[in-house]
Amino acid sequence: MPDSVSAKKAAEEQPSLRRSVTPWGSFSWGYSDVGADIFVGLGLVLGAAAGASNVAFLFAGLVYVCVGLAYTELAAAYPVAGGGQYFVLRGLGDIFGFIAGWAVLLDFTIDIVLFAWSCIDYLSKLLPFLAFTAHPWTHFGVVFAVIAGLAWLNVIGVRESSAFNEIVSGLDIASETAILFFGFLFAFRPEILIHTMQSAWPTPFNLMNGVSLAIISFVGLESISQAAQETQRPASVIPRTSISLILTILIFALSYSNLALGLQPWTPIPPDAHGHAQALWHYLGNEDNNGAAVQVLASMIPYYGALAALYVPVLGAILLLISSNSGVFGSSRIAYAMSHTQLLPSLFKKVHPKFRTPAVSIVVFCSFAILELFFAALPSLSPFFKETYARLFRGEDGITFLGDLYAFGAATSYSFVFIALIALRLNDPESPRKFKMPFNIPFKYRGVRVEFPIVAVIGFAGIFSILIFTMLTHLIGRIAGPSWIILGLIAYLVYRKRKGLPVFGSQKHDWRSQQAQILKNAGELELMDEYIANVKASDRLRSGEPAP
Amino acid sequence: MRRIVRSEGYARARLVTGSIFMLLGAVVIVRMAGSAGLQWSAAPGYVLGVAMILLGGFRFYEYRTARRGA
Repeated sequence: MPDSVSAKKAAEEQPSLRRSVTPWGSFSWGYSDVGADIFVGLGLVLGAAAGASNVAFLFAGLVYVCVGLAYTELAAAYPVAGGGQYFVLRGLGDIFGFIAGWAVLLDFTIDIVLFAWSCIDYLSKLLPFLAFTAHPWTHFGVVFAVIAGLAWLNVIGVRESSAFNEIVSGLDIASETAILFFGFLFAFRPEILIHTMQSAWPTPFNLMNGVSLAIISFVGLESISQAAQETQRPASVIPRTSISLILTILIFALSYSNLALGLQPWTPIPPDAHGHAQALWHYLGNEDNNGAAVQVLASMIPYYGALAALYVPVLGAILLLISSNSGVFGSSRIAYAMSHTQLLPSLFKKVHPKFRTPAVSIVVFCSFAILELFFAALPSLSPFFKETYARLFRGEDGITFLGDLYAFGAATSYSFVFIALIALRLNDPESPRKFKMPFNIPFKYRGVRVEFPIVAVIGFAGIFSILIFTMLTHLIGRIAGPSWIILGLIAYLVYRKRKGLPVFGSQKHDWRSQQAQILKNAGELELMDEYIANVKASDRLRSGEPAP
Repeated sequence: MRRIVRSEGYARARLVTGSIFMLLGAVVIVRMAGSAGLQWSAAPGYVLGVAMILLGGFRFYEYRTARRGA
């Protein structure tokens, strides 16, 4: 007991993360991360999956719905910073928790670079001196400055960056809704959609490639669970914001892909390089336009297109910027959480005494992102590196390489999250779940009634198949992705051995005390009482004691 | 921003956008049904229409829940 008292006192003295994220803030953290993905993903998927792009988005979108439901349940039940890696740690043990967290860290650091890069690409449509092909050094310098600026913004506090996300997310949702409204009411032709799907159906390899790229458009929902420790009343707020977010993102992705295949363009489509007429989906997916496909598509919408062509590059750039910001936020929060559970060194849990943000984690992972930026930019900055990359990476450039890893990291961590959700349903039925994935099979496990989640099994099958598609269709991803995991695992094993912690096993965790404390800290006092009552009831059932 | 998000006007604006999504969802389903019927290639269109209607419905549900809470 004295130990727990001193631990409690120490915990009180330690600076902790501030609970300042509101329901709209929680939604916009998620939206800012996932919402921008379609700006990057649409053109890439059209280029790969052609007439089946909407099917690729549908498949990836349905998997994403399962992922979203899983995260919603887990984040509402365990509202702590760390998201997926915490759930896997708790459900499957330390080493799997590390692997899941390490994969997500890869994703978030890539997120910072990829979206900062794309943000400048969109801006270059209005400011040609920022164009990557014409002025690679300027482009590189501005992206570098953007990443450094976001790091500073996050160090000074979540409230400032959260307000920034909230305003831009609101503007973007209004804009995208307007584009869909005008597009579907005035230019969408179902007969063109059906004709395109039947005449431009891709090969199975290209369809798999398209699906693996389509999942990129749905990565980032976990931002909501990353921010759970800073969200007010998380068990109530997170399910509301998550469901809204899941539906909004699914609608935008399916709408854009269906519009791209079935739109009657308002303006004529320019002929291809050989002077031949081309379909809209082909025009959007070619090398010239796939980086800004949303803008090109929006410009072809009747009435509204002329206006959209002017502001969509700016709005796209801003949204991509906040997505990059979400990468900074997410990576620092995961590292903070992993450090608390001794999966990473204690350095990462240091909170800034004034701003109460995980400043060390922010600086370290932004530095990783800058390293990745160097890696992505080198071929364009120097002919020597261009030749070297062509030789070593079979002609794939740095950004393609980052995209491959982005899909790999997401599919790996989501696969573990589904398994962890099933394990937690069986091993921790006492934790109150204000939101549960639908379609469950009730049965008794170790004397206690539990519910087996069917949707988690479906989601796991879906995301695991996407992981296989990624490995089959991306030459570099299948080598570099597992290499990242293996290198991280080696560092983890060395750290755990030096600290005298279980290397392959797990530390002893008092999950029950921790869960009660988590709910108390979250202000969910009713749930805390419910949890304590459930624990007592379970113990009685397991020991065969009669109810009082 | 927070004052705007908590205002009655914002809640009503969400109802308007929710209604737009429901309308769009219905339009997509009806037009897909008219052109493609039960062909497999119409499936993404039907899913899109249903998702739009669900989002609109969810906004109405949230509005009602918030009103009851107030």
